Amino acid sequence: MNTLAVVFNAEFVRRIRSRAFVAGTLIGAVSIVLIAMLPALVGGMLSSSSKKIVLAGDPALTATARTLLKRDFTVVAMVPKLDGPPSAQFLDAHDKASAVAVLARSGEGLRVTAYARDPSAFRDTFAADLAPIQIALATGAPVQRVAAHSTVPVEVHDVSGRFATASAADAAKGIAYLFVMLLYLAILLNAQSIMTSVAEEKTSRIAELLVATLDPARLLAAKILAAAATGFIQLGVWVAAGMLSGRAVTTLFARGDEAASAPLFGSLSVSSGEILAFLAFFAVGFAQYGVLYAAAASLINRTEDLGSVAGPLVVPVVLGIILAQIGLQFPNSPSVLVCSLLPLISPFVMFTRIAVSNVPAWQVVLSLAINVATAVLLAWLSGRVYRVGLLLYGRPPSIKQIVATLRA
Amino acid sequence: MGTLVLSNVARSFGEVVAVRDVSFSVPPGSTLGLLGPNGAGKTTTMRMILGILIPDRGSVTWDGAPVDLRVRRRFGDLPEERGLYGKLKVREQIAYFGRLHGVPPPDDVARADAWIERLGLTEFAERPCAELSKGNQQKVQVACAALHDPELLVLDEPFSGLDPVNAETLLEALRALKAGGTSLILSSHQMWQIEDLCESFCVIADGTMRARGTLRELRAAWPTRIVEVEPVAEQLRGILDATPGARALAEADRPALAYELPADADTAALLRRLVAAGDVTRFERVDPSLRDIYLRAIGAAA
Repeated sequence: MNTLAVVFNAEFVRRIRSRAFVAGTLIGAVSIVLIAMLPALVGGMLSSSSKKIVLAGDPALTATARTLLKRDFTVVAMVPKLDGPPSAQFLDAHDKASAVAVLARSGEGLRVTAYARDPSAFRDTFAADLAPIQIALATGAPVQRVAAHSTVPVEVHDVSGRFATASAADAAKGIAYLFVMLLYLAILLNAQSIMTSVAEEKTSRIAELLVATLDPARLLAAKILAAAATGFIQLGVWVAAGMLSGRAVTTLFARGDEAASAPLFGSLSVSSGEILAFLAFFAVGFAQYGVLYAAAASLINRTEDLGSVAGPLVVPVVLGIILAQIGLQFPNSPSVLVCSLLPLISPFVMFTRIAVSNVPAWQVVLSLAINVATAVLLAWLSGRVYRVGLLLYGRPPSIKQIVATLRA
Repeated sequence: MGTLVLSNVARSFGEVVAVRDVSFSVPPGSTLGLLGPNGAGKTTTMRMILGILIPDRGSVTWDGAPVDLRVRRRFGDLPEERGLYGKLKVREQIAYFGRLHGVPPPDDVARADAWIERLGLTEFAERPCAELSKGNQQKVQVACAALHDPELLVLDEPFSGLDPVNAETLLEALRALKAGGTSLILSSHQMWQIEDLCESFCVIADGTMRARGTLRELRAAWPTRIVEVEPVAEQLRGILDATPGARALAEADRPALAYELPADADTAALLRRLVAAGDVTRFERVDPSLRDIYLRAIGAAA
């Protein structure tokens, strides 16, 4: 059994058994399920409670309005007149309605005065739904005719043929967002776990024993491979949780109430290519951050110093996440294209582009190649820092000393 | 089993010279005591033997060849600063270090159990190392270093933190390893333990080797001789005072005339003169202790 396998096995078992891994994986999975289910659950509850309204005014107007508002509201009562502004008790008395809309003619048009529990929630919907009455009153055209022609049918097609509809493209953005967040969490959590492990070995002087027995490069490689393996398992659990909860949301909510079904998970469909790209960019991203975090941890003398060396390494991760958000909206803009080729950042940005647009294969290959080359270079540089840093005790090394170590 | 040879090794850290020039050899199955004050360069020398540090100058060889990783895996290391995984259980910890040194499963666990029993750690076998006392952690560390029956075991202050009973247990374990053919290099401030275990010694101070050899050789090289004479009588004191190069020492535990003489002093002739001068109930040539040799070698007052 070679030392790489011995260290890999020990590290893997230690990580899998650690409370941090078990808790992190479970909390992540539960969070994903909640994120998937909550919009549907809360949205459904909110929509049913906020849909009930009372209409007041001329019976002819309210009858027409009732037909037009049917799409968004349930009219629980129609009254010809109100005795002053309605109170909350009035709404409670009318099937716990959310609002009262008073319809009146105003010149050649319609005026709506609404009294609502949540004043911000009704204006735009009322204005859009009741617009045909306004036009009918102004032009004399029949309301039904105006209503029939008030919506312009618009079909948007993806020139690449990838997305059948605009809503499918929207859903892809949601999926991309979710996966980028998973990528972010998996890379950061596992890279930081490497950092903690290296710091433990450094501060407890186990490093000295290990270095006397095996090559530091092998030690580092075994640690990174073990952390990557646990990272893949963690990602697998999270992706499975996301897909299962997406399916559950579709099954539970889509039939009864289509609007309540969150497009993010309800229409969750991820191609095998995307999963492959996801895993590939996780691997290269993790390799880069893993070696950097390990090298940084090898330079500290006390675990309390971890924060100070880890801080700067979070910057490219956060930058990658921010640029990935921009990439969601403008996946093919030149600046996003450049960012999708930059090491450390590109795992997030390129994956986003792949998820929401048709990226030419050469760009994906180039990005992966750049990332792999960077990972190899960083592994070499970090390996040198790690080799020296691991046995460096006392005052933390200066930047000058680190550079000298790299040149040596 | 091989022979370890250090030839004129030197190592600096920036401006600080840790080891200037150290040479010694450790034949198969023998034990070398590395002595020296704090900061003398003992740990750096041990780290160079283990390949943790590369000498700036000189060489470290095992059976005539440079010490590489394959050779180092046959060595055992007990560093001064102990290192254990706190959350790992005692048996797992010892077995893990055994596997790192090439002991395959399930032999690793079987050997770990044997060491656990030998060092009296049975009741702690399933406990995380962080829960053990310092002394027991020390014993776990020794088991980690010795599980693979190393050809050379390097122990930096192996007795520190151990009570007399545990120190004796460890001493017994080291004797057993030695009997099994393992060469030992150890540093310790407890001279009596070192003296009991080692065949040869190397005294280092300020990165330089100050003395080297077996205790017999070191005593033979001692520049003076100490004689103790009883009873404390003025006529005997007068003869001793008149001896060329003699220097009176403070009296020992019991009343006696104690004198330091040059190494080439003719003690037989001195004895004859003393006997001629009066009744001599005791005349003893006292050999310098390891402590005396050590203190003189490092330049401190004996």
